[in-house]
Amino acid sequence: MSLNGCEHLNSFKAAFGSRSYFIIHSCFVACTSAEARRVKAQSCFCHTCKHRGLRVHACLSCVYFGCYGEKHIQNHAKSKKHNLSVDLNFGTVYCYACKDFVYDKELETLAKRQNKAAAASLAIRRQFAPWEPDQDEIELLRRNPKRRRVSESSHIGLRGLINLGNTCFMNCILQSLTHTPILRDYFLSDQHHCHMTANPQQCLVCEMGRLFQEFYSGVRTPYIPYKLLHLVWTNARHLAGYEQQDAHEFLIAALDVLHRHCQGTNGISYSNSHHCSCIIDQIFTGGLQSDVTCKECNNVSTTIDPIWDISLDLGPGPGTTAATSVASAATVTTATVGDPVGAVLGVASSAASDTSSVANLSPASGYTNSPSNSEPTSLIECLKRFTRPEHLGNSAKIKCSNCHSYQESTKQLTMKKSPIVACFHLKRFEHSTGYHKKISTYVSFPEELDMTPFMSSSRNNSNGYTNQIVRESAISLSCDNKYSLFAVVNHSGTIESGHYTCFIRSHKDQWFKCEDHVITRATAGEVLTSEGYLLFYHKQLLEYA
Amino acid sequence: MKDAQMRATINQKLVETGERERLKELLRTRLIECGWRDQLKAQCKEIVQNKGLEHITVDDLVAEITPKGRALVPDNVKKELLQRIRTFLAQQSSI
Repeated sequence: MSLNGCEHLNSFKAAFGSRSYFIIHSCFVACTSAEARRVKAQSCFCHTCKHRGLRVHACLSCVYFGCYGEKHIQNHAKSKKHNLSVDLNFGTVYCYACKDFVYDKELETLAKRQNKAAAASLAIRRQFAPWEPDQDEIELLRRNPKRRRVSESSHIGLRGLINLGNTCFMNCILQSLTHTPILRDYFLSDQHHCHMTANPQQCLVCEMGRLFQEFYSGVRTPYIPYKLLHLVWTNARHLAGYEQQDAHEFLIAALDVLHRHCQGTNGISYSNSHHCSCIIDQIFTGGLQSDVTCKECNNVSTTIDPIWDISLDLGPGPGTTAATSVASAATVTTATVGDPVGAVLGVASSAASDTSSVANLSPASGYTNSPSNSEPTSLIECLKRFTRPEHLGNSAKIKCSNCHSYQESTKQLTMKKSPIVACFHLKRFEHSTGYHKKISTYVSFPEELDMTPFMSSSRNNSNGYTNQIVRESAISLSCDNKYSLFAVVNHSGTIESGHYTCFIRSHKDQWFKCEDHVITRATAGEVLTSEGYLLFYHKQLLEYA
Repeated sequence: MKDAQMRATINQKLVETGERERLKELLRTRLIECGWRDQLKAQCKEIVQNKGLEHITVDDLVAEITPKGRALVPDNVKKELLQRIRTFLAQQSSI
């Protein structure tokens, strides 16, 4: 496509300039004011059939609008010898002598500027524009002439990982992360700018970037992630050594280190971490709302804590002490301010490097997370149990900020903000005083999950503040909380020794089983009947902020 | 009100308020996300290659690709758009 128009457009421009194009474009294609939009709404119809079709063109030479589909504009062009028209939907110029759309550099620039102004006047933040490579990118493309095409059957992105001695816990997490669509897009579009300029070799985010490069390079031999392992060891000391580790613990530690390296700080706490916009927080951070209701005066105190994953209790209800998963984002929980009851319960951090500063003001344990006796057998049941109002017993009285006395209360957890990637941790490993055991119960989980019932906006509150607006918005937003499963981590064996494998989804619906260096095709059925330990779900729809 | 008249009124309202532009942007985003744009682009390329660049006009391409393009729009995208239009109309008391 050339940007030099055609001879007819050029002679038209030479005679009349680009003024008429500008007028048509700014009045009828991209309006920048309410008045212009009103005029557009009233006058954009075919002058021949009065129809407001999709493809109405405006003659560039005189005041005439006509349907393209019904050939009204073509007839006009023929009879009046007016060869040029403007499509009122897109602002493109059509030449009837050339029988084609023509593109002129000057008019294109004009249209682009006008489109931008029109979007701004409607507060549309991000308007789509096709990618136009800049000078550097053109040079890169020229130097790398090989193009790789991704088809339904291509295996690009699949690569085994060598086990470096009991490192299957790491391999399965790395497989899950490299197949997280939005994280992949981030790394493959080269969006990470290293903050550790003094020592870029120490940056785990850069190393992740290299891992993505390796995965998508097309090489089929297994990859040896020794540098990554070493970086994790040096940054999360408790995972160092060749012992078997917990995959969940590794995930949280990896996310924590990645999050810290995105900031360029080395574990130094920063005050603004509550509003962190690093890629890890953008993708994994959700908001967990905790509502504590005083039994005496029904005063509700609400706190919202950032979380990276949701840990769900298995096994029979009472007796299990609740260590809700606030733990995961422990580095961030420190900033919970204005929290009279200190609802940050059970902050038992596995990954946090600065746990010392975690505000653990409240009686941390002693309440049960589940009033029911039955063992949950599905993810939905686990989530129901997780978001159920629970009675904080006599032994866990909390000082009510309203009636200023220690009272019994109920507490309910809901999701205030759903993360882009929701990671569910089924607590199969039970560490109670005196014994450790693994719960191998089968817990079913769906391929598609709707989180709407567990959102704070759907909270069925007996204190009467659920008004209609809240409920209505919950319904209209319901498609925003739909998730698809894309990775499952499994553990086989006992609590003392076992093996981790994982299933990952490639393309839209192809499943693969990753067992260290071996990757085999799997069916959705196998995935859904497996004994899941960590479940990764991805949002189906993204809102662009 | 007659159907055509109703259609015209709704269209006018959408243009007047700028909602039409917002919907257009949303639709564009959704169609890119679900791969519709890439699919259609690939099909257009194929048609052009099969017929030869010299023997094809924009009109031919539009005629051939339009029914395919319509059929390929995912149901949930249509549903979302419909829902948005419904919500918009519900807010407009004057219709």
